[in-house]
Amino acid sequence: MLELRPILSALWQSKTAALLIALQLMLTLTIVSNAALFIHNRQEKIARPTGMAEKDILAVNFSALAKNYEMPAAVDADLALIRSIPSVIEATHSHKIPLSGSGESLSLFLEPNANKGGFSASYFYVGAGVTEALGMELIAGRDFKATDVQVGDHTSRNTLNAVIVTQQFARQLYPDAHAVGKYLYTGNNNQPIKIIGIVARNLGPHLHQAMAGNTVFFPQLMVVDGSASMTYLVRSEPGQLQEVFNQLEGKLRVRDPQRIISLRTLEAYKKRSYRADNTTIEVLATVITLLATIIALGILGLTSFWVSQRRKQIGVRRALGASRRAIARYFLIENLMVAGTGIALGLAAAQLANKVLVMYFNQPALPLPLLLGCALILLVISLGAALSPALRAANISPALATRSV
Amino acid sequence: MLKMHKVRKSFRTDTIETHALRDFNLEVKEGEFIAVTGPSGSGKTTFLNIAGLLEAHSGGQYLLDGDDVSGLNDRQRSRLRNEKIGFIFQGFNLIPDLNLFDNIDVPLRYRGFKASERRRRIDKVLQQVGLAARAKYLPSQLSGGQQQRIAIARALAGEPRFLLADEPTGNLDSLMARQVMELLELVNDWGTTIVMVTHDPDLARRAERNIQIVDGQVADLEYHANPAALSA
Ligand SMILES: Nc1ncnc2c1ncn2[C@@H]1O[C@H](COP(=O)(O)OP(=O)(O)O)[C@@H](O)[C@H]1O
Ligand SMILES: [Mg+2]
Repeated sequence: MLELRPILSALWQSKTAALLIALQLMLTLTIVSNAALFIHNRQEKIARPTGMAEKDILAVNFSALAKNYEMPAAVDADLALIRSIPSVIEATHSHKIPLSGSGESLSLFLEPNANKGGFSASYFYVGAGVTEALGMELIAGRDFKATDVQVGDHTSRNTLNAVIVTQQFARQLYPDAHAVGKYLYTGNNNQPIKIIGIVARNLGPHLHQAMAGNTVFFPQLMVVDGSASMTYLVRSEPGQLQEVFNQLEGKLRVRDPQRIISLRTLEAYKKRSYRADNTTIEVLATVITLLATIIALGILGLTSFWVSQRRKQIGVRRALGASRRAIARYFLIENLMVAGTGIALGLAAAQLANKVLVMYFNQPALPLPLLLGCALILLVISLGAALSPALRAANISPALATRSV
Repeated sequence: MLKMHKVRKSFRTDTIETHALRDFNLEVKEGEFIAVTGPSGSGKTTFLNIAGLLEAHSGGQYLLDGDDVSGLNDRQRSRLRNEKIGFIFQGFNLIPDLNLFDNIDVPLRYRGFKASERRRRIDKVLQQVGLAARAKYLPSQLSGGQQQRIAIARALAGEPRFLLADEPTGNLDSLMARQVMELLELVNDWGTTIVMVTHDPDLARRAERNIQIVDGQVADLEYHANPAALSA
């Protein structure tokens, strides 16, 4: 037996407080649902597969102290040494570190000597076995072999003759055709670069750009005049990275003590790149928690106030035949009415606010299940906050009807 | 109807224990109108609260309609209060947020009656107490006497067999008090058993039986077979 109408008319007597709580709930739902959407999107972004086995990959960086460092010979010796470690699956050299936030991009063209209508991609100069070394899935063509790799610098583009591209990039180049065997050109250049392989995915160096995933690999050992630093990307058997890490540093040092060597996992670079996103998530989660706490305290406070204000009539109701359960139910239903109103308003307000965010701030649309989920959680919090005052009300003695005047 | 045998009630605070009722014996028969008098603090309200299942007694035996009520749980006690017992309080105790109709409706909703049945009963008792035209008024818009009549209507709507009144005229002037008393007499004539605590000896004398509570016990019993004969 629900007593909706009398509860509503009693509520009407304290409509200002009820309205304030309802409005607060409306605002809370508006902010919480849109913040939850932000969090959800950031989490999805962070959870995107990189196309690499970053958990098993070590980026080894060295700078040689010697002048006129004999780089190609050193790289050959280092890679041979690295590959000899039992848990190493493959290693290669690279001029940049994937996921690190530091990288380079260029425009590639379908025609020679072009300078318009190019396709933008991030690129890496890498060595043989890059697909294996990064744990990428090769879906067409082949990996680089040692014979593909030339020694050069940024001016060596007119001698490049092979490239591995991601599937995402290949689809942009050739939406309808198979890309392997086709040729690409750098701008204002007639040197054909043959697509020899396609990998399923690689997010490249920059995780925050729309073009992330348009990634290409050129087979070149990058030797820049006056600089004697190099990066190796080393992939271990799953779970063996620490073991490789432990052996690698010492072995490289023994082979050539005149170098500064630093080792970091690709996973660490990824974490660092997503740090801003993770901070955003934490801040928004804190805001959500804070708002939920404030609304819970508000409801707790108001319900407690109403209960203490109505002690007498609760006693009277008990005297007239209300069971404890009926009294608790009264306050829960009353709370449900206030919270329901606020949340209903919030459902509309949240969608409105999201429309504004979509229109002016280029944010994604708020999915209904997420909004409804937030609404449900707020409803549960509201009821939970009202529960303890409601139970306190239920414990008021019926004797209060006769005892106090 | 009601039988108390050696009923005890004590209140315990941190430091003191008050014996509000001690070896309290009383039997109330169906249809009686009993006036309870006694000094302040003697245990009159405590007696009414126990009789009306608002409080549990701490010892002795209380039979309501022949049933021992000591083993009942909250839901059963609430149900008995709702169905068998009507309460009238000194302070009227109407619910200020609800209009008169809704006030009378309160116990009927706990009873679980359908809307049509509730409306029928509310209209009937509003007629009986002469306030049918004011159903939509709030309690604060009525005089004290009118509020107490509504409180009586609320007590009567459930058609209880047992009406308990704790100084129902205590907050009323003598004219209003007499009107309320006449209404209670009418209700008693219809067959409802009434126990009324009062300070007013004139009103007490109009009841068919008086008991006096002193120090938590029934002091003496005084019967008036016929109130009219007494005043003659
Ligand atoms: N809840 C309580 N806690 C402690 N003592 C109480 C309580 N209720 C009543 N008493 C005490 O019990 C005694 C009887 O009270 P009461 O029945 O209200 O007397 P009356 O109605 O005759 O004035 C008084 O001494 C009173 O102080
Ligand atoms: Mg009293």
